[in-house]
This record gives sequence, structure tokens and C-alpha cells, in this order.
Amino acid sequence: MIDRIVDFAFKRPKAIFAIAGLLTFVALLQFLRIKIDTDPENMLPANEFVRRFHQEVKKEFTLYDYIVVGVVDESSPAGVFNPRTLEDVYQLTQAIGKIDGVVAYDMMSLSTKDDVQSDGAGTVRFQWLMHAPPYTEQDALWIRSRALANPMFYNTLVSADGKALAIYVPIKEKKISYTVAKKIGELTKAYRGGERYFLTGLPLAEDAFGHEMFVQMALSAPAAMLVIFLLMWVFFRNVRLVVLPLVMAMDVVILTMGAMVGLGFPIHIMSSMIPIFLLPICVLDSIHLLSDYYEEYRRFPNKEEAIRHVLRKLFMPNLFTSLTTVAGFFSLSFAPIPPVQVFGIFVAIGVAVAWLTTVLFIPAYVALLDASRLATFGVRHEENPTGPEHVILEFARHLAVDRWKLVLAVTVLTVAVSIIGLTRIKVNDNPTKWFSKKHPIRVADIVLNRHFGGTYSAYLVMEPRDKKEEVFLDPAMLEYIRGLQKYLLEQGSVGKSTSLADVVSKVYDELLGGDKKNGMIPPTKEAVAQCLLLFENSHKPDDLWHFVTPDYDKLNLWMQLTSGDNRDMALVVRQVETYFKEHPAPQPLIYHWSGLTYINMVWQDKMVIGMFVNFLGSFLIVLFMMVVLFRSPLVGLLSMIPMTVTIVFIYSTLGFFGKEYDMPVAVLSALTLGLSIDYAIHFIERSRQIYKVRMNWPDTAREMFGAPARALVRNAFVISIAFLPLFLSRLVPYNTVGFFMLMIMLVSSVGTLLILPAIISAAPRVVFGHLEPEKKVSRCACGECMLLAVMLAASVLYVLLGYSLTRWNVATVIAVFVVVVLAGICFIVGRLRNNRMV
Amino acid sequence: MKRMFFAVFGLGLLLGTAVGAEAGDPSADEIVKKANHIAYYEGQDGRARVEMTVTDAQGRTRQRVMTILRMNVGDDAEQKYYVYFHRPTDVKGMAYIVWKHLDRDDDRWLYLPALDLVRRIAASDKRSSFAGTNFLYEDISGRSLSLDTHELMGGDDKTYQIKNTPKDGNAVEFSYYVTWINKDNFVPVKAEYYDKEGKLYRRLEALETKDVGGYLTITKMKAEDLNAGSSTVALFSQIEYDIKMGEDIFTERYLRKPPLQWIQE
Repeated sequence: MIDRIVDFAFKRPKAIFAIAGLLTFVALLQFLRIKIDTDPENMLPANEFVRRFHQEVKKEFTLYDYIVVGVVDESSPAGVFNPRTLEDVYQLTQAIGKIDGVVAYDMMSLSTKDDVQSDGAGTVRFQWLMHAPPYTEQDALWIRSRALANPMFYNTLVSADGKALAIYVPIKEKKISYTVAKKIGELTKAYRGGERYFLTGLPLAEDAFGHEMFVQMALSAPAAMLVIFLLMWVFFRNVRLVVLPLVMAMDVVILTMGAMVGLGFPIHIMSSMIPIFLLPICVLDSIHLLSDYYEEYRRFPNKEEAIRHVLRKLFMPNLFTSLTTVAGFFSLSFAPIPPVQVFGIFVAIGVAVAWLTTVLFIPAYVALLDASRLATFGVRHEENPTGPEHVILEFARHLAVDRWKLVLAVTVLTVAVSIIGLTRIKVNDNPTKWFSKKHPIRVADIVLNRHFGGTYSAYLVMEPRDKKEEVFLDPAMLEYIRGLQKYLLEQGSVGKSTSLADVVSKVYDELLGGDKKNGMIPPTKEAVAQCLLLFENSHKPDDLWHFVTPDYDKLNLWMQLTSGDNRDMALVVRQVETYFKEHPAPQPLIYHWSGLTYINMVWQDKMVIGMFVNFLGSFLIVLFMMVVLFRSPLVGLLSMIPMTVTIVFIYSTLGFFGKEYDMPVAVLSALTLGLSIDYAIHFIERSRQIYKVRMNWPDTAREMFGAPARALVRNAFVISIAFLPLFLSRLVPYNTVGFFMLMIMLVSSVGTLLILPAIISAAPRVVFGHLEPEKKVSRCACGECMLLAVMLAASVLYVLLGYSLTRWNVATVIAVFVVVVLAGICFIVGRLRNNRMV
Repeated sequence: MKRMFFAVFGLGLLLGTAVGAEAGDPSADEIVKKANHIAYYEGQDGRARVEMTVTDAQGRTRQRVMTILRMNVGDDAEQKYYVYFHRPTDVKGMAYIVWKHLDRDDDRWLYLPALDLVRRIAASDKRSSFAGTNFLYEDISGRSLSLDTHELMGGDDKTYQIKNTPKDGNAVEFSYYVTWINKDNFVPVKAEYYDKEGKLYRRLEALETKDVGGYLTITKMKAEDLNAGSSTVALFSQIEYDIKMGEDIFTERYLRKPPLQWIQE
């Protein structure tokens, strides 16, 4: 088959490139209707309960997603509460209100909020917190003291230390946050003084990330390409041949992304990473080919024969490395997360396209290439190999073949230590932390959460289990809610919470006046209702309806968290559960969560579990393919070892260094699996080819550590260096990708070059047994049968797991039973056949 | 006394300096004077039962039912109000007294029966909500007309259109408002408020007028908040004029002991 492909490529090179060019053009045209989706909330399907509920809650309580503008001045005791800064804040609030997409009516700022106060002599006064900028220092401080005295503003609008204030900017749609924030940033530039302006908030972090991600992609993909080009040129010294893999990689990216856009999929945060994933995969394949071509070129009379030989030799490993990568990514399509599905499917398609272009383009390109251009190309075999590459590989060979016990001992030790690291992995995510610590959004996040009750919002919506009106006018119920708020504050995970109880007790306080202020709830339902009617006489009576529905049968408790970490949100959820369990409500309540912080936790949970299940699945699928490729379960299993060690090792470093298992890390597991199996495939396949000729392991090893190992090391070198620029990015996921690329290449190449030959040295027949026909009889068929049975059982279990995670039913039990029986039969048959053969 | 409830609901805000009159038509000054006379200097007192229905942006409604008593004090346009809440049931018995002054801030008292508390209510301005409806306190007691300049902008066959611009722009949230006043009877039928950016954001409208005992009276009014998307419709019933209430009703003593004679359930 390979010959036919090569013949075709030789005969019609121009046709191949013409068709490819046409397809590329069509793919490029698709970009005209590109749609971009930067919202990580779309990790969940639009009809997911928590998302629908969030929309409902936002509508029912007139809530929005908020950008938080913080104004901080730590230089003086009065902080930002001086006439000049407040004048600026007043102007800024008005200017922000005019920005398109900002819901000016519901903006929270000193100048948009009404305050209720008493003078202690029987007068209750409603007054805007800052109707106009104050003229004197005293007036400014008076505004501060009023804001601090109001539980609705304390730690929300004004920081507890009185040095900072915040403006909460409600926006109509999350996807405009970045644009709105940019405009606000321009406005604040005009204000010069001791105070500093900060912008943060989850909607902004999410939207800004989406935007900056594309910029990063436009920067880092070409940068990686350039580095790859330079390194390959250093190795192969032929621009014409080195350009080809890059052109192919670019073409593959264009074709894949074009197909995706053309089919109407928006480019989501996930799919924007496709180029950076496809790039190393494409280049990997062609480096293997080129490297081998470079080694073999001078052995053959002409360029065509040389490429034919190389392709024939590398066809199977290339096919299988591509297939395993396809499998690894395709299995992402089982994930319950739409963007991950799209991502997985299109990376898989891209890899398939990459394989096709590799086997077609390279011979076609060689056919078109003027032979004179290759005059200086290739290794001159008369020369004795020298240089650092050679020295290192010889050392590795010596280590693996002669000191295999040491290598295996170190491997076992490494895995053991790594497992300790694995147990320390913390699953956590926070979109704000996708920015590096120097990024303005991250800086703002850190500063503002130090000053305020928290820039992360979550809403706990409660209603009576038995439909009943006006439940939340009941003083007992309000006391209960206040108890919950107090409990959460004491636990320390919620920085601030605001509820109807705060409104009622504030009004009641002011009604009682003077020294009777002690934050009590009025004694009767009527008194509560009357306090609230009084509140409704303020300038902003609608503020009430953020906390309760007008029929008082649904309550919204607004929580502010100083951290958007999923772990912290999950902790609050558990604390609320505990409170409800330990303190029964006066009326049985049902409750649901809402808010971006909570939504993030939900999709993160799904993502982590989904990716883990997928990873297990991919692992099994790849294992199965290895068994088919090598026609031996044992060799199949063997080929998985370097990859397994790589993965265990890389993920253990996360555990040891305290790097959290977040969205990018979860997605990278698929890449790790797809890339690090490649070397093992190449190694085993090539060493078996060599063994067929040499028929003994030491000679095979010597040849293996020549050209094939060089190809492998070059590969690892090029890819790991090429992605180093990603460490400069101010987006943390890009650093993570860079780190993973480096580690995957480093660990799996070292692992493959040391562990595999060490194991083979221990028992050469494991890999090469069937190549020696006379020894076939002695091989234990039942062992292999059992292995196969276990793999099959595992695959079946995986499918069951994948389709019904933890839901077990009769069918599941039967299936498992059938698998066990089948394995037993296989075992018996194998045994019988073995006996008969003996 | 005629059209007392225009005054109550603040559409006849026509005192003050009038400018920009056109030839042929009466000047803004004259229109203002006439409407003002009709709104404030006829009759002595009156009462009505008022039912307000607030409809928010989501279509949810809530109700306020109250009795409003009002009397004029002398000829100097000072007035006194008594507002008694019937519903919602939880707030039944809550009552306001307002002494409206022209030269200084109004006096307001509130009684909360559940706590048996009387409190003076002060506000930095009169533009706070009336009991959580879309009517403002100023719509109830009337905006002091000397606060604005009035300008005749023209109009059509039936109405005069008058632009009212506050003299102190910083004191209020609107930049100006426009009132439409019927040419034949000087009934104000509509007022529209524009914010500092010149965007229309608030509207008051008279939806229905009836003859009550010889007095032309608005019996249905609507206030809309275009920003919040909510509106309030006020229905007036059991309207009576010249019932000769005593002035002592409008004192703190009567907050705790409502004048049941004038307040029927």
C-alpha cells in the first residue's frame, strides 16, 4: 500500500499540491464567517440547569454580572475619602453610566446609593450617600462614616479600613465586559492623584481571557514555528526541506480550523488552542521522516529511492502514532462538555490530515525537488559519528543495556515517589488565576480582595418547600437567615453577605435611633412589613427587589467571596449544607445556587471528572491499539510503560509544586497521552525491524541508538525548545502548555530511551520472542489470554463508567458477570490449547 | 378646589417665572397663573380613596390602597395631607401627615402601628419614592414652582407645551421636564422628564378625568419609570370635596388615632 501511495505522489506531485492549494483556499475562505465565543460558561450546554437558573435568578432579582472598579488610596488615613478623589469618583460614576451596555440604573456606587439614618431625636432621614461631590474634608469623612454604618455598603462599597471604595458596574452581557473595561480604563487614566484604580470581576476575567487568548495564539504559534524552523535548519542544513514541515503544519491548521469554522462552530477558548496542539503533532511526524531521510539519503542512488525506503520503514509507526493521537483526542468527544467535544474531534481530524499530508506531500515534494539542491544533504556514512549527540546516546545505550537493573530500580523509585506527588494534586480553578500575577486584572483581584468583602459573587436563592406567600416577612425566618450569614462569616470563607435581613434591621435600627442600634429584627411580621414600606420611601426602593421577590416568597442571599477558587466556592456550599442540616429552618426551605463563581465550580467539576474518565478511556483505547499493532498483549502493555511513567511523573510535579489541576491541565492530559506514546511506538517498531535482520539484542540496541534514537532526540529537542517562548506569556494556561510540552518531550524521550531498552535487556524475548519461530511453542498462551481478558474487561468497565458514571443497575452487573465468564473461558481454552500443543 | 388632585399629584406645577411667550397665544406666564389658580386656590378640602398598582419590568404587580385627606391652609398655598394605608394588610394603619410649605422643607410624620412609633421623616429632597410606587413624594405634595423656569414651547390645537427647567440643576436628577396643559380647561395631562444626558426617562400621564360634584377631576393616573421598566397606575374613587374636616386631624395625635369618620374601610 505504501508503495502505491508513493508511486502516486511521484507521478502526480503537481496535482497533489494543486488540490491541496485549492482546499487550503476554500478553508481560508471559511474564515470570513468566523464566530468567536470567549465565554467559559459555554463549557456547560446552554440548557444546563445551573445556567438556566442563573438567567432566571438574574431576571427575577434584577441582577447582573458585575465588573468591579476599585479605588484605593493607602497613602493617607482618610484614604480615598477626600474631596478631590470623591469628585473624580463622582465624575467617573457618571461617565461609566454612559458607556454602552452598562446598566446605569443598577450601578452601585457612592453617588447612586441612598442611605437611611436617624438623628437620634425621632427623625429618620433618606439621603443620597453622595448626592454631589463634597467640598470639605469633613464632608468627605462624613460620607465614609455613613457608608461604613450601613450594612448594605460596609465592605461592599466602602472597605472596612475606610481607605478604598468600589463601584459595581452591571453589564447587560458578559461578552462586552472586556470592551466596557477598556473604556473604563481610559476614563480612569485622566484622574491623577494618590489613589489607584483597579478593574476586576469574574465576567471581566473571563471575557478578557478570551480576548487575550487569541492575541497570544497569534503571537505564540508563529514564534513556535520560527524556533522549530531554526532548530531544524541547524539539524538538516537544507532550507527547502526544512520549510516543508512548517508549511504542512500551517496547512493542516488552516484546513482543520477552516473545516471547523465552515461547519459553523464558533472558535471557543478551547478550540483557539487547536493550532498550538496541532503544531507539535504535525512537526513530530515529519521530523521523524526528515531525520531518517537525512540519515539514509546517501545510501541510495537517487532521492526517490531514498524516500521510498524511508517511508516504507516508517509507514507503520507513523500510522500508529497518528492513530493513537487521533484516538486520544477523539475520546474527548465523550466528555459532557461541548467545547471539549469540538476541540477533541477537530484535533483528531487535524492529526489525521497531518498524517495524510505527511505521506503524500513529502514524496511529492521530493519528486519536484531539484536533485542538485540536495547536494550537501544527508549524512556521509564514511565518517565516524561523533559530537555530543553521539556521546549522550552511547551513554544512554550503555546505561540501558548494561546497567538495566539500575535503570529499572530508578524507574520504580521514580514512580513510587511520583505516586506520592499524585496524591497531593489539588483540583482547583479560578478564571482570574489564568492571568499571571503581574497582569492588571490579577493585581486588581489581589488588591481589591484584600480590601473588600470580595469581588466574587454567589447567590443563594431560597424558597419555602410548601408554597406560601410572605414567608420572608416572618421575623423568625429573617433571624434564621441572619444566623446563616453570621455562621458563614465566622467560618471565614464568605467575606460579606447581604440579605433582606440586613435591610430590615438597618431600617429598624434607624427607627429606634440613637443608642438602641443593635441590629435587631423587628418583633412581628407587621413590624417587618412596615419597616420595609418605610424603606420603600427612599430614593431607590427597587434595591429591595434584589433581595426578595415582591410577594416575599423567594429570598436571595448575596454572598461576596474574596476568592473565586472552585475549592473555596465548594467549601461555602458545604458550609451552607451543614448549617441547613444542623439548624432546621422555621419553615422547611429549598435552595439553589447561582452566580458566576458557582457556575465556574460546576463546569470545573464536570470538566475534571469528564477529562479523567476520558483519559482512562483513551488509555485503554491506545493500549488496545498497541496490542493490535504489535500483535501481542504483553508488548502492547510494555509500550505503554514509558508513557505511563511520563504522565505519572509530570502530574506528580504538579502535586509537589502545588500547581493546581485546572482546566488547561485537564485538557493537556490528552496531549500528553497522544504525544508520549509516539516514541515508544517508534522505538519498539524500529527495534523489531532491526532485530529481524540482526537476530540479537545487543546489536539491535547498537543500531537503535544510532539513527532512530537520533531522530527521537531531535524531535524532543525541537518541540521542547519551540514551546519555551510560551513561558513569557502573561496567560497562565500558555505557561502550562509550555511546561507540559517541555516535560512530555523530556520525560518521554528519556523514559523511552532508557526504560524500554532496560526492560528488553532484562527479557529480550518479551519483544522479540515471536520473531524467533523455533521458540514459539514455549510461550504461555494462557498468560496472554488473561491479559487480553483483563484489558477487555477494563474496556467494558470504562464504557459502562463513561455512559453512566456512578449509576449501577442490573445490566451493569450482568455485563460485568459476562466479562468475567468470558475471561474464564478464554483462560480455559488457552490452557487446553497449550496442553495439546505441548 | 377644582382639580384638587392635580395638585395632589403634581402635574400642575406652574408657579414661577414664565418666559418665552409667543404672540397670539397667552404667555407662559398667563398659562401658569391660570393653571395655578385652578390647582391651588379653589375649594377648601377633600378626600379620596386611592388604589395604586405597581407593575414591574417582569410584569409582577403589587398594590397599595390608601385614603388621602387634604386641606388648604389660608390663601398662601400651604397645604396639609393625611395618608392612611389600608393595604397591604401588614401595613394597615400606617399613616403619614404632611405639612407642605412653600418657603422651607415640608414637615412629614410617619406612624408605624406595629411598633407604635411616630417618626419625623426628613429627606434631602422630595424626589424619593412614595411608598415604593413610581410616584415620587414630590408628585404627591407638589413641586414648589419657584424652583423652575417655565417656557412655552408651543403645542397643538388642544394643548400648551411648557418646558420647565430647574434653577438649581444639581438639586434634582432631571435636567428639565415638559408638561402638556389642556388649552380649554388648563388641565395638565402629561409630564415627561429628561435626564442629564437629555434622554427621556420618566413620564406622568392623566388617563381619565371625571366630573365630580362640579369639579373636573383626574381619576386615573400613570407614572412610568422608563429605566426600570416599571409603572404605577393610581385609581381615585370615593372622591368628595368640601367636607369641612377640622385642621386638627392633621396633627400627630391623629396618627395614632385615625379620623375614622373620613377613612372608611
